[in-house]
Amino acid sequence: MKVLGYFLLFFVLAMILIVLAIILGDAAPWYFAWIIGTGLLILTSAAAGFMFDTQEEKAKGTPQ
Amino acid sequence: MINTTVVELSRWQFASTALYHFLFVPLTLGLTVFLAALETVYVVTGKPIYREMTQFWGKLLLINFALGVATGLTMEFEFGTNWSFYSGFVGDIFGAPLAIEGLMAFFMESTMIGLMIFGWDKLSRGQHLIVTYLVALGSNLSALWILVANGFMQDPQGAVFNPVTMRMELDSFSALIFSHDAQAKFVHTSIAGYVTAAIFVAGVSAFYLLKKRHLEIAKRSFRMATIFGVLSTIGVITLGDALGFIGAHAQPAKIAAMEAMWETETTPAPFNLAAWPNQDKQQNAWALQIPYLLTPLLTHTMDTKIPGIAEIEAENTVRIKNGIPAVEALKLLSANPNNAAAMAQFKAHEKDLGYGFLVERYAPDQDVSRATEADIAKAAKDTIPDVFAIYWVFRIMVGFAFLMLAFFVFGVIYSLRNEVEKHPVFLRFALGMIPVPFLACEMGWITAELGRQPWTVYNLLPTWMSASSHSVSYMVFSLIGFVSLYSIFILIEMFLMVRAIKQGPDAPHGADTGGLRHEPLLGGSVLSGGHAPVHAKAYLNEKSANEV
Repeated sequence: MKVLGYFLLFFVLAMILIVLAIILGDAAPWYFAWIIGTGLLILTSAAAGFMFDTQEEKAKGTPQ
Repeated sequence: MINTTVVELSRWQFASTALYHFLFVPLTLGLTVFLAALETVYVVTGKPIYREMTQFWGKLLLINFALGVATGLTMEFEFGTNWSFYSGFVGDIFGAPLAIEGLMAFFMESTMIGLMIFGWDKLSRGQHLIVTYLVALGSNLSALWILVANGFMQDPQGAVFNPVTMRMELDSFSALIFSHDAQAKFVHTSIAGYVTAAIFVAGVSAFYLLKKRHLEIAKRSFRMATIFGVLSTIGVITLGDALGFIGAHAQPAKIAAMEAMWETETTPAPFNLAAWPNQDKQQNAWALQIPYLLTPLLTHTMDTKIPGIAEIEAENTVRIKNGIPAVEALKLLSANPNNAAAMAQFKAHEKDLGYGFLVERYAPDQDVSRATEADIAKAAKDTIPDVFAIYWVFRIMVGFAFLMLAFFVFGVIYSLRNEVEKHPVFLRFALGMIPVPFLACEMGWITAELGRQPWTVYNLLPTWMSASSHSVSYMVFSLIGFVSLYSIFILIEMFLMVRAIKQGPDAPHGADTGGLRHEPLLGGSVLSGGHAPVHAKAYLNEKSANEV
């Protein structure tokens, strides 16, 4: 049930982004680029944190 | 009669307060987004060190935010006190975004930042993460609205001048907020804030790495900041290019000044890599040129003409002459709004009304119908901004941008190889880089605003008409007051920041968590609550006590 809840949440988010892309695509491409770009920046930076931990744990030989 | 000294002092006052304020803004814009990234890692992995990192960088954000609000407050009022004609002329358009900006900054952003700082033990992790995201969104949205207002000043869209009310009136709200200048400027400014935050975090982390303090926090922060920064710097340079492309169409005089291009060159025009512009002689004393580069750089084509300053000045001379009948008609309409002949004359010359206002400054008794050719020539010269200042300020900004990009590329390489601590020279360089993005942001602001001269609203309202009619002594007194007060604010900010950085995170996390984690959010309870683990504090305190 929880998985279904997450699925629905992220599916709705994806739908909102698609609608935003269609609406903003013509009138406000840079605003849309900012929304997507900032989201990706956050996720990429977060991924950098995950990667650091993975490297550290591997170096120390601890389970990941 | 307008006192030009008062106008100049008003400009100095607004420029100085804006530049002081803009020392605080970029860090807030970027640090809020960086905190969102940090807290995302905390919520997903459950590792307490990321909470500690979020709280530490959040403390520095709070210091910066408080002083940013304090310096920003006065600017909202300055429009009314020092630029009353401007405020009356464009209040219908300018007022709405400014009001929304105020609401965003002082209600949404301030409320959320309070919840973020004080809500750690009151909110669930999911709720707190949402609050942190809303802080990032709120701070950037408040920047959006002020930049929409500024975008209108640079490229007025969505408004028409009403000759009966003698004011600009909002015609299309969507045209106002979706203007190309506003869009590109917002994204450019927002991402410049991200770069600022990334350099700040990397620099402070480098300080800890050099001092061998808080190593776990510093290494993680450095890694995340350099990745955050390298992508942001690519973005900010891309948006800089977009702004140049937009400016080439909307503000040719600014672009010609930024490139010190006095004459229209055959396409593709050469790029002045370095030059020494002389405004009196309207030429460069010397110039180091790269052939064929400017046209594709600015227009993204090889054959689009880029007008030089001499051509722009000649075109503006024609527009000034065409604008004189519009101003004459306007005076008749102010006496009798039903004067059909005056209305017809106004409509015929309406698009050059602003240029007619330009010559009013030099005409005898400010009567444009008595303006001489010499007066028109002076007004045409005014349409070209300060080329030397804009050219070099712009180049310093671009140079800083590429310096930061190079820094981040090295930072990412060293961090990914996990050997950043082995490069103390680079770490010292990182520490020295901290002022660079702040200076680059200031240079960008100066380029944008100085390049807009002689207009407050481009092509519509000259700066010389926009100011209030204060006395010189009032302006001098208030200018000295602002500069003194804001200098104290800067000193306070630096003192508090340095003290907080020296103090470090509240629970100095010198070691890793030893594998002890809070429950990862996505593996546990994302939306169903689950308060931030209280045992984290006890654990961290215990760890701190065991550490030197």
